[in-house]
Amino acid sequence: MNKKDRVMMTFDHEEPDQVPITEMAIDVVHLEKLAGTKLTADTSPQTQVTSDRRAEEDMVATTVLAYKKLGFELIPIELSAPDGWNPKRNPDGTISDEWGRLLSYDAKCRSWVSSGSVFSAPEDFERFPFPDPHAPGRTFAIEETKRRIGDEMVLGGWIKDPFATAWEMFKVTDFVRWLYERPNFIRQVIERIADFNIEVTKRIVDAKADLILCSGDYAEKKGPLVPVKFFKDVIFPNLQRQVGAAHRAGLKFIKHTDGNLNPIMEDLANIVDGLQSIDPTASMDISDVKRRYGDRLILIGNVSVDNLCTRTKEEIIQETKECLRNAAAGGGYMLSSSNSWYTDAKLENCLAMVDAGRKYGRYPITILD
Amino acid sequence: MSLLQEIERTFAEVSGVDQMKSYVQAALTEGTSPLQILQSMRQGLLTAGKKYEQGEYFLSELIMSGIMAQELSSMLKPYLQRDGGQFFARIVIGTVQGDLHDIGKNLVSTMLSSAGFEIRDLGVDVPPEKFVEVVKNDKPRIVAMSCLLTVAMDTMKNVMDRLVESGFRSGVKVLVGGRPITPEFVERIGADAYGEDAIEAVDVAKSALTR
Repeated sequence: MNKKDRVMMTFDHEEPDQVPITEMAIDVVHLEKLAGTKLTADTSPQTQVTSDRRAEEDMVATTVLAYKKLGFELIPIELSAPDGWNPKRNPDGTISDEWGRLLSYDAKCRSWVSSGSVFSAPEDFERFPFPDPHAPGRTFAIEETKRRIGDEMVLGGWIKDPFATAWEMFKVTDFVRWLYERPNFIRQVIERIADFNIEVTKRIVDAKADLILCSGDYAEKKGPLVPVKFFKDVIFPNLQRQVGAAHRAGLKFIKHTDGNLNPIMEDLANIVDGLQSIDPTASMDISDVKRRYGDRLILIGNVSVDNLCTRTKEEIIQETKECLRNAAAGGGYMLSSSNSWYTDAKLENCLAMVDAGRKYGRYPITILD
Repeated sequence: MSLLQEIERTFAEVSGVDQMKSYVQAALTEGTSPLQILQSMRQGLLTAGKKYEQGEYFLSELIMSGIMAQELSSMLKPYLQRDGGQFFARIVIGTVQGDLHDIGKNLVSTMLSSAGFEIRDLGVDVPPEKFVEVVKNDKPRIVAMSCLLTVAMDTMKNVMDRLVESGFRSGVKVLVGGRPITPEFVERIGADAYGEDAIEAVDVAKSALTR
């Protein structure tokens, strides 16, 4: 069975020959080790920081090589910055991205991470040049990946959740304050970012991606980041619109979010096709999620990313077996960590997860002990 | 309901900055002591914190209560100085190198400031040598370190090592906090105490000074 058929059967809640495996992202240091290359381009786990197409080609080549070596069935690729765009470099060493986030350089991870915002008042947003979803070059990396992989792997195109984008672009404290004091403003911003995502989804479809992946967290360890009512009134109706855009093009929609989602799981399972993370350290019990939503929700993840950093290979193999035992029966489950392979994750643990997935993930699942 | 009870309620129910400020202003006009107002805030924050722990409130409500506390601190600053202006002690606080998260650190900073400590906030991504430099120059009684990411926990150990190497360790109490921090970790790196949350941080800081 080829990789694409394996994923598609899984996503149709049927059992293929074996459980497919992927990672939503792999930090640069691991990508380089896996691919045996050296990258020089700036990267960020949260946003685009360059439109240098040569550098992006190198990044795509390295990512594709690493994912092929790992035998992964699904490769997730980010949107690109428009042709000719460059981040604004600020005197304090930070850079500003297209969405008004200020980013600082993290030397350890060799990437730019969100550290502030250009917005200090809601009125700043009115003057802000809002990104154009139709700007040329927006799907450069997705197109380049498709050119390299053809139909060998499933290609997922990332969009970023409007709530998470707004939460980051305004800084958390300002977002929360304006949520209380200017709720209609926050609602309008989220709607406008959802409009952007709907338009950009059409571009991702044109670039021949196979599914839409939506990043951005809804929850932390204890529970959702904002009250459930706000999810029902604002976040979920806009999520529904974005899922509709993917479905109209015949693509499934997978939501990534860390954290304890239990208070919003019912609504979430009614909207999206799949969920990635299912973080065991945030009270997400995959056997319970499988029992309650497994007939309609594709599950991806559940190997604790914290454990990949701190535990032994043997413990990771055991944890992987537990995930397969709890979630793989009947299809609808794809193995991955509960987030991504961070810089601090031990690569030997990550590879142990993959090996265990191949060894114990053959259908029918019969894991003893 | 008295004005102090109303102030407590606005924090417990996270009613927003404007409502809180109007009650505080009325209380100050009536001649209520700023320290009594801070006590009401603390009670209200405790209630909000408990509701968060029980899953009734979400992170946004906890952050908003922190924003309200910060606003109240600014409002009371001139009155507190008029009351005598003596601080318990100077505290140097920062999110350690490798981590840019500052919500928890800011909440702790606000609570400690409201409780009468003088705060020197070093911000985020603070390298070990910066902590040592500030301990040397500012002579705080307490160093408080925060992190959210497990990857940044090593920096806390580095700060402890640098404080020992430089000979300043015995002159300060070191408090740590943040999502991945456990009492076992505190013991392992040789810090003095650990605060589970911003409310507890105040008691931990006060008791650290008596040891």
